[in-house]
Amino acid sequence: MTPAGGSPATAVDSPDALAIQQLSKTFGGTRALRQVDLDIRPGEVHALVGQNGSGKSTLIKVLAGFHTPDPGCAATVSGEPLRLGDAADSHRAGLRFVHQDLGLVGQLGAVENLSLGFGYSRTPLGLIDWREHETLAKEAIRSFGHDFDVREPVANLSVVEQTVVAIARALQGAETAVSVLVLDEPTSAMPAPDVEHLLDLVTKVRARGTAVLYVSHRLGEIFRIADRVTVLRDGAALGPWPVADLTRRDIVEKMTNIAQVDDVLNATNTDTDTDTNAESAAEVVLDLIGVGGHTVSGLDLQVRKGELLGVAGIAGSGREELCDLVFGGKARTGQITVGSRWLPPGRPDQSVRQGLALVPADRLRRGVIRDLSVRENLTLPSLRTLLRFLLVRRNAERRTAQAWIERLGVKTPGLEAGVETLSGGNQQKVVLAKCLMIEPDVLLLDEPTQGVDVAAKADIHRQIARYSEAGGTVLVCSSDNEELESLCRRVLVLRNGEVVAELLGPDVNLRRLTEESLGTESAVPDRKDAR
Amino acid sequence: MTTLPSGPPTRVPPGEKATWQQRRTDFGLARFSGVYVAVALIIAYLLTVPVFRSVDVARVIASSQAITGILTLGLMTALICGVFDVSIAANMSFAASFVGWLQSVHDVDWVLAVASTLLVGGLIGVVNAVIVTRWHVEAVIGTLGTMSILAALSFLLVRGEDIYDGIDETFKSVGSATVLTVPVSVYYLIALAAVLYVVLEHTPLGRYFYAIGANSEACRLAGIKIVRYQWIGLIISGVVASLAGVLYTMQQGAASFGAGDPFLLPAFAAAFLGSTQIKPGRFNVIGTLVAIYLLAIGVKGLQLQFPGNPWISDLFNGIALILAVGLSQRALRRRARR
Repeated sequence: MTPAGGSPATAVDSPDALAIQQLSKTFGGTRALRQVDLDIRPGEVHALVGQNGSGKSTLIKVLAGFHTPDPGCAATVSGEPLRLGDAADSHRAGLRFVHQDLGLVGQLGAVENLSLGFGYSRTPLGLIDWREHETLAKEAIRSFGHDFDVREPVANLSVVEQTVVAIARALQGAETAVSVLVLDEPTSAMPAPDVEHLLDLVTKVRARGTAVLYVSHRLGEIFRIADRVTVLRDGAALGPWPVADLTRRDIVEKMTNIAQVDDVLNATNTDTDTDTNAESAAEVVLDLIGVGGHTVSGLDLQVRKGELLGVAGIAGSGREELCDLVFGGKARTGQITVGSRWLPPGRPDQSVRQGLALVPADRLRRGVIRDLSVRENLTLPSLRTLLRFLLVRRNAERRTAQAWIERLGVKTPGLEAGVETLSGGNQQKVVLAKCLMIEPDVLLLDEPTQGVDVAAKADIHRQIARYSEAGGTVLVCSSDNEELESLCRRVLVLRNGEVVAELLGPDVNLRRLTEESLGTESAVPDRKDAR
Repeated sequence: MTTLPSGPPTRVPPGEKATWQQRRTDFGLARFSGVYVAVALIIAYLLTVPVFRSVDVARVIASSQAITGILTLGLMTALICGVFDVSIAANMSFAASFVGWLQSVHDVDWVLAVASTLLVGGLIGVVNAVIVTRWHVEAVIGTLGTMSILAALSFLLVRGEDIYDGIDETFKSVGSATVLTVPVSVYYLIALAAVLYVVLEHTPLGRYFYAIGANSEACRLAGIKIVRYQWIGLIISGVVASLAGVLYTMQQGAASFGAGDPFLLPAFAAAFLGSTQIKPGRFNVIGTLVAIYLLAIGVKGLQLQFPGNPWISDLFNGIALILAVGLSQRALRRRARR
């Protein structure tokens, strides 16, 4: 690890590795990026941070040439003009990208993955010279200090090793020509111990003189490796600042635009204690003891009757799998009881019988059933309550479906319309209504308003509140901190699979949620005191 | 909702009335196109093919298609659950030989022979279910395997020969009699279609079948035991396929070897063509019946027009299969677009 002082970030004579002026991007009527300026110096690690929806991914997609920016912007790479929005030109200029999903072919080995889309060297007979490729691949992998079988299918490699392959592929061939390597959330799927290796990898790339644009949610990492940081907020760029001049708290404030709010709120903190006391008198309906999954480990959590408990956390914190672990959509360890009954793991059918219902995050793949009508989607889990002699009572079914459509304000051309013809918000209402219809004791909500318009979001929030007021118990996992702020009075914050904070009453606010999710006072040490 | 260029532009008010109006606009074109094509074919053949003008032709089409129809309904049930069952025709072949073999070689009473054959058909469904749901073998591949295994078992059973002797006379007449001038097998087809119609359209079981076929993960999260219902679907399709085999042996009065094999393509063609009819975009009983008779009329007319060209039915069925699947995909896309 080189500390920032020794980095080449101070070199001012050579032109910027990448310089962008006045970059804007409008989708329909929404401005995703507003006159963004960005300059990356040769051989620096430049961090780009911002909340969900701040425009990070749009910026990267414009750089990669997926989106064409609004007219009026200019960009240069090492002093040469760059046409933004042209994938071929951005490649020619020496911009390389490692996207979040890495883009590797899992069944193929590192050798084949490196050669894909890069061209093959041939033997005199015109066949692919695999021996040559293998030697090159081995060298490339070794140059990053790794040594694994380059013929092993990459799906069997660890996440770090896969990232090595992806980075090696991005940098291969033209070491001198690569000006900027863009790493998009490289650690989001990575177990915590592996992050260390990745940071090493990034320093190795920097040591070659390649500038790195490092996009991440995790502030700890930024303090470890970045020289400078640019913050995106609502599509506008702030900064850049040398990382050494900032604290974590500074960055969070710049990301959220809330300063000193928490001091005011902290003053009023005491009067909520009575409230929470009253709530703790209610019986525990959902009780998790030592629950573990892919990321989550040893999680204890209790939800009381009528409570609306929120769970916050950035991508990769374990927040996104919690609902599935409880409901049985994914395999888990640990004990869960509902009421006083033990809940078997991995059995959604048993979960439903014991009074649970799940609104899953992936609406299209796991929520609605395309090709079925709105009516059929709504009544699917409650068909058995609509029977007469084994047959579904058509009229009763129709009346029930109609009643729920009206109750939730689902906009549909009719009960028989295909559910796929509705807008995202109305589809989500159908999924919610389907769950409410079976009158669950506990409602599990995973990203209940993701990709939903503002009006539908308000409707959905109203329904959730109404259900909770009627004595229903709710566990809501969301990456939308505003949503948690408006819905919940108690929120648990997950980071690296563990609960790092419990926020109550007025502490449930945007500022605190963001701070805790990102780890302002994180256990990951700052660079300054690390070594 | 499908918008069709023809007809007056109807303003669609919200609520149930809208769907009824939409249906009425669809009436002539999409939903019943098969019926119209069938009628047009009949008229064309009546005018151009003299031999076509006979009650016997109608009777032959009706009775021979009853067996195709029963097999197709079994296949349709599997397809609704999202399982592409290609072993269905081999299952029918095995059943046709098995029911004859029991009577001829082992002197089993015909009622018992029929019952055990249907039971074996259900067991074949269980085997398919284990392969698809337990071992997670892709359904087409898994059932392709069982198809080949069944062909081998049929051969071992009867040494690749037809069985003529020792088949009960009552057994034969149960399948080949004529009731009110209509072959009795047609009544069996109608009865099976009626039962399946009620099950698929009016019971939770049928609804679960459709839902699982469309999105099994969403069903799992709705608390439905999807594996259980896939088992039920495959067992139904297995029993129905062996029923087709039994009926075939009854009709022929002999257990011919490999009897079901030529039915594979027509069954798939009819099932997919059926999914473009009555309820476009969805496999359904009535649509399947329309498709079966449409295809039968088409192929019979051609056979009569060009006698002595046995390749015609293969050609027709191949083209029909491709067209049917193409049309069904179009129906799905249309549904998705509206």
